[in-house]
Amino acid sequence: MLLSDRISGSAIAALGAVAFFYGSKLPPVPGQQVGPSAFPMVIGTGLVICGGLIVFGIGRHFEEVAEADVAHHATPEELAPLPAWRNWLALLPPALLAFYALASETLGFLPTAAIMVLVASLAFGAKPKLAVPLAIIAPFAINLIFLKLLRVPLPGGILPFPW
Amino acid sequence: MDTVIKAFGLVFQFDVMVAVVASAFYGLTVGALPGLSATMATALLVPVTFYLSPIAAVATIITASAMAIFSGDIPGCLLRIPGTPASAAYTDEAYAMTRKGQAETALGICLWFSALGGIAGTLSLMLIAPLLAEMALSFSTYENFWLAMLGLMCSTLVARSSPIKAIAAMLLGLLITCIGIDNPGGVPRFTFGSTDLLGGIEPIPALVGVFALAEVMRALTEREPPKIENRKLGSILKGQWQLTKEYPKQQTRGNIVGIIIGVLPGAGADMAAWVSYAMSKRFSKTPEKFGTGHPEGLIEAGASNNASLASGWVPALLFGIPGDTITAIAIGVLYMKGLNPGPSLFTTQAESMYALYIIFILGNIIMIPFGIIMIRLASKVVGAPRSAVMPVIMIFCAVGAFATAGNNLFAVWCVAFFGLFGFVMEKNGYPVAAMVLGIVMGTMVEQNFVTSLIKSDGSVLPFFDRPVSSVLAAMTFAALLWPVFSWTREWLRGRSRTVAA
Repeated sequence: MLLSDRISGSAIAALGAVAFFYGSKLPPVPGQQVGPSAFPMVIGTGLVICGGLIVFGIGRHFEEVAEADVAHHATPEELAPLPAWRNWLALLPPALLAFYALASETLGFLPTAAIMVLVASLAFGAKPKLAVPLAIIAPFAINLIFLKLLRVPLPGGILPFPW
Repeated sequence: MDTVIKAFGLVFQFDVMVAVVASAFYGLTVGALPGLSATMATALLVPVTFYLSPIAAVATIITASAMAIFSGDIPGCLLRIPGTPASAAYTDEAYAMTRKGQAETALGICLWFSALGGIAGTLSLMLIAPLLAEMALSFSTYENFWLAMLGLMCSTLVARSSPIKAIAAMLLGLLITCIGIDNPGGVPRFTFGSTDLLGGIEPIPALVGVFALAEVMRALTEREPPKIENRKLGSILKGQWQLTKEYPKQQTRGNIVGIIIGVLPGAGADMAAWVSYAMSKRFSKTPEKFGTGHPEGLIEAGASNNASLASGWVPALLFGIPGDTITAIAIGVLYMKGLNPGPSLFTTQAESMYALYIIFILGNIIMIPFGIIMIRLASKVVGAPRSAVMPVIMIFCAVGAFATAGNNLFAVWCVAFFGLFGFVMEKNGYPVAAMVLGIVMGTMVEQNFVTSLIKSDGSVLPFFDRPVSSVLAAMTFAALLWPVFSWTREWLRGRSRTVAA
């Protein structure tokens, strides 16, 4: 997920331009010069300038200094490269949260959370001996905390909390 | 005096005491686990604070963050892995002491001087905040606007990255606060027809995503840290009094630097530790001993990061400007609890403010016994497998955000989005702390900006008219141009060197 400065800078500049034009289209408050459009337009301008500077690699020098500093303090094991697929594994937690948002209403909290914990735990390299009991116990414990202590009803779904 | 007694009454209540003790152990545990930061500890606490009384809510945040900053030193000492980023600056030093067989002393220094630093920070909060509050009462929207801008610029300056990327991150944060109907015209802005976006992006789910979910994501891409072996430790506090008398200057300097960095918006405990450690080395009579297990730098930096915690609350309470990422979350809780930040807080809610001071002092005192317990238990706690801790944190991210947003699943989407966004930003050198400051302060900045412009009939001149606002404006522009200046200086120096060669 490492993007070049060109890509991230252009994306920021484009976002700034969109914010500027969208902002300028907002209806003004009658009888006032300044309304809801002023702030997005100022920010949009700022983003376009920053994005442009990033594309041209200005300020890169400061980053190199900071990176060298971090590398200086890291242990050799930390710097050893991990296989590239590990980087894509990082997408798993947001994907599981999206799964929660989509499924928890119908499935209920307990099954949804159990699936999430099981998948995440295995992804972290747990043996099934640990992951399966964890996936059963943790959702129960969390449901208990939220229901009894904080009084937040979590979605019941097909398997509501038993008491 | 009456208010002080009332404040004690507010603090010494059953629910507050339970909250302090429970959050102390929670903070110590989270801090000691490598990869979990003090900010993450605070972010995950928010849904719990939702259901507590205002004082108990603030107490949990104060105690948990102070404990986590200290206990981040434990795996640093024993494993050479900082438990929180705030310990990273002196991990090498602490581990070197452990290798020399002085693990007790190293841990003792971290604990003792953390507690002293925390108390020094609290004293500064008690002294500075009311003084500034009196001054701030006379501020108009112009001053408030520049103050907020200065805060935002500071957050970009202290980021250990490219200042341009930091400014871009900060502007992205401000742009995010533009979403919704809560704007000067009351028109739906950037909502794209979605009813969920009408209410805007709440800061709390965004912060949970950036600080908690993104950490879980990062952990997936990194190796599991090694385990702490069970070792017998002697007396932790032995010899600490001796060291206190031996290094008074280092300790005071650490406290003062920590306090200053804490007050600066966006810069927190990790920055304080880095600066103090470097400073200690520069002014030391024996700089060659640094890195070989020498207590001097450890004392200075260990005091500094805890001192910064309390002073970070100064701008947060006075102006709603977060002094660090922890207070960025705390501000959200303050609003939620009706303790809206502002100078009038110190007159209308004086007893709550005193209560806050008392909790800070109390937290730093109980840090010593609780910290010793934690050090003894460290090998068991830090030994908890990551594959069991991280999935549970992930569920907490989802359910916690869901609960704080009034049982709305949109908050879960926000967490997922900001987790991903924060992760990608961090990977590419965009400091997330700057964006978070933008998100927390955006609405306030816009309000002051637009109100000022309306008052001045669209002219920018009145922004510089009043004496205080012109000074603040000058400081803001100086902060904006500082990177250019420092880069030019270095470039000139580099050129003169090549010419001389």
